[in-house]
Amino acid sequence: MRRALRILAVLVLTMLSACRGDAGAPAFPPGAKVLRIAEVSPDVPTLDPAAGYDTSSWLFEQMLFSTLVRYGDADVKLHPDAALSWTVSPDATVFTFHLRHDVRFTSGRAVTSADFRYAIERVLNPKTISKGMEYFRSIRGAPEFVAGRTAHLSGLETPDAWTIIFHLVAPDPIFVDKLAMPFAAAVPHEAVERWGEDFSRHPVGSGPFMLKEWIGGQRIVIVRNPNYFIPGLPKLDAVVDLLGVSEGLEWLKFEAGEIDISAIPPAEFVYVMKTPALKRLTTHQVTVTTQYLGMNCQMAPFTDLRVRQALNFAIDKDKLVALLNGRGVVARGVMPPTLPGFDPDLKGYPYDPARARQLLAEAGKSRLGVELWLLADQTELMIGQSIQQDLALVGVDLTLKPIALAPLLEAVRQPNNVPFMVFGWEADFPDPSNFLDVLFSRRQWGANNDTFYYNPRVDAILKQAAPVTDLKKRYALYQEAEKIIVADAPWVFLYNPVTYVIHQPWVHDLILNPMRPTRLEKVWVTPRN
Amino acid sequence: MTPRRRINWMELTGGLMVAGLIAVALLAPLLAPHDPTRAVAPTYGNPGPPSAAFPLGTDELGRDVLSRIIYGARISLTVGIAAVLVTLAIGVTIGLGAGFFGGATDFLLMRFTDVMLTLPGLLLAMALVTVLGPSLLTILIVIGLVSWTQIARVVRAESLTLSQRDFVIAARALGAPPRHLIVRHLLPNVMPIIVVMAALGTSGTLLLDAGLSFLGLGVPPPAPSWGRMIEEATIYFRTAPWLATFPGLAIFYAVLGFNLLGYGYLRRRGR
Repeated sequence: MRRALRILAVLVLTMLSACRGDAGAPAFPPGAKVLRIAEVSPDVPTLDPAAGYDTSSWLFEQMLFSTLVRYGDADVKLHPDAALSWTVSPDATVFTFHLRHDVRFTSGRAVTSADFRYAIERVLNPKTISKGMEYFRSIRGAPEFVAGRTAHLSGLETPDAWTIIFHLVAPDPIFVDKLAMPFAAAVPHEAVERWGEDFSRHPVGSGPFMLKEWIGGQRIVIVRNPNYFIPGLPKLDAVVDLLGVSEGLEWLKFEAGEIDISAIPPAEFVYVMKTPALKRLTTHQVTVTTQYLGMNCQMAPFTDLRVRQALNFAIDKDKLVALLNGRGVVARGVMPPTLPGFDPDLKGYPYDPARARQLLAEAGKSRLGVELWLLADQTELMIGQSIQQDLALVGVDLTLKPIALAPLLEAVRQPNNVPFMVFGWEADFPDPSNFLDVLFSRRQWGANNDTFYYNPRVDAILKQAAPVTDLKKRYALYQEAEKIIVADAPWVFLYNPVTYVIHQPWVHDLILNPMRPTRLEKVWVTPRN
Repeated sequence: MTPRRRINWMELTGGLMVAGLIAVALLAPLLAPHDPTRAVAPTYGNPGPPSAAFPLGTDELGRDVLSRIIYGARISLTVGIAAVLVTLAIGVTIGLGAGFFGGATDFLLMRFTDVMLTLPGLLLAMALVTVLGPSLLTILIVIGLVSWTQIARVVRAESLTLSQRDFVIAARALGAPPRHLIVRHLLPNVMPIIVVMAALGTSGTLLLDAGLSFLGLGVPPPAPSWGRMIEEATIYFRTAPWLATFPGLAIFYAVLGFNLLGYGYLRRRGR
């Protein structure tokens, strides 16, 4: 899926009693069930489902909007959301969805098939500059629509208000998964037209929550949608997300009981796990994520394959996992072990500084200065300094450039802008294409291919693999592409993280999903003592 | 002239402390047992407590804390002294100019100084560092730019008094040009106060540098600045308190040394 923040559970939840007056914090009536969330990033990049493609944005988009289908709370199987049921033609080219009749936007208007069509056409419209565009290009008529020659997608039928039919030009065994992404969430055209680019600030959806307040650098407040189509949900009255809270502060707030859920800083992890009373309150999930260092293949010195490979040999990944108290496994390729299609035979790059020095010498780069862009938070800087140490040993002088999430996401889309970056990618759906296609194909330049990698052979294999429905053949093709990518080394393959969070004893039913940010509509709180 | 007294205990202690600091900074490569930027113990993610091999422990990246503090003295002293020179250059120029020329020049320079005084130093420094990008040079300039105002005011007051003194009036009557008056008569006589301000200013800049480093705006990593060491240690404060304690003591030592030196000198001069 999207850019994974290292701490997936950007959550720090607090039950706010109404009288606790933080200056300017919204007041809730006594007894209101409020959860306070916090995150390191000073702002959420966007709340517009056509635009967001990162864990932080999706956390909220998932709760503000509805998609046709969604994943379960803890699984990555498809479940109905706004759709009651769906059918797939045997050749996987025609997908028919029947909608619930009781889904309403928070404006009061019923959500119909036209709203889903509008959302998908909006993502495909080049003016929207959506990072999700590629996922819907296989719908019949997409090229004509994108070129502006037709007003609507010919392959997207809405025979009545409650039925929507997708016709694809080629089989796509994972098309339904693509519709579970917020890109395909229903949006009301009247609100989008009214607010234009500001729709992100005034989102109107049909999810369990609705936006109440969003102040960059301070907080986001979402409140219960009283007309949500699943009775009894959400169980919370509101969620308050504190923005720009450092990891250390987050932990202190958790300890002070001001926060209900927290990530566990590396410094505290050993202590928490040794203390039974605290360990009991932790929950963890093996996420479908790979952390990597991206090297821009169009920018010196990374245009040279030997330099890219040298860096793979130069960095001690075991040390990084140790820095995270063992919360991860060393990555040997692009795909995480939890992804279907993972190649267990891939060798990757062992830690071998001598080999790295040799490759750099061959490339005539025995001394080298590089700037590494990374998120400005303590753990990320610790990882950056560890990499800095490793690279110093092979003659590479690394400068760290800490930056906030939103500008970092924007910067990596520009060509010839970011030479070297620390990033993670978390699966959106359980299929290799979600890593290989999205991150390494030529057509994703300027969207998600932040290393500006291009290998015609890889593109050809990816194209060949996409419509294959026989999973064995499909995975074999993707593994072939992955081998080439690993040899080309546009990334330094770092590790696959395991996410741990801790919650207060008064928080219940907090379930982490292996691929998606945690949904909060089923979380409930009891009064704390 | 003010009576000269013998060197007092404050001055002596401060001087010895500062001399010790300078010696440590100069001899860092000889004194430090390890490379301050490299891992010397495998204490990744789990800092090592003080031991025989590592008297002040090792940090979460396996680096020797003692070596980092020793090398940190170089950065702190460089920043402290160089920033004070920048501060003095600006402050003394403006102060002397205002005090000597008086009138409209004095009015304009002093109102400008007042405006600068209204801006909170740390916030201004943060804003400037954010715009210019953190580096050693930026830090020096920024600290200089935000801390010259006190010096300018004190130097102005001194030179205002001095320019009414007989020897200055006499020199002026003999036709000495302004440049001569400033360089030969005013500057030597404001020197004592400048020395005091420099010593006290150094401790101020040390603290400002530590504050900026703590906020992640100081000299960029892996340079072992004391403020940054404390910042990096905050998340380990309960599990590995030595990581923050020792650089904290180092800052305390340096600030105390410069302050004793400055106040001791002031006391000897009988002010």
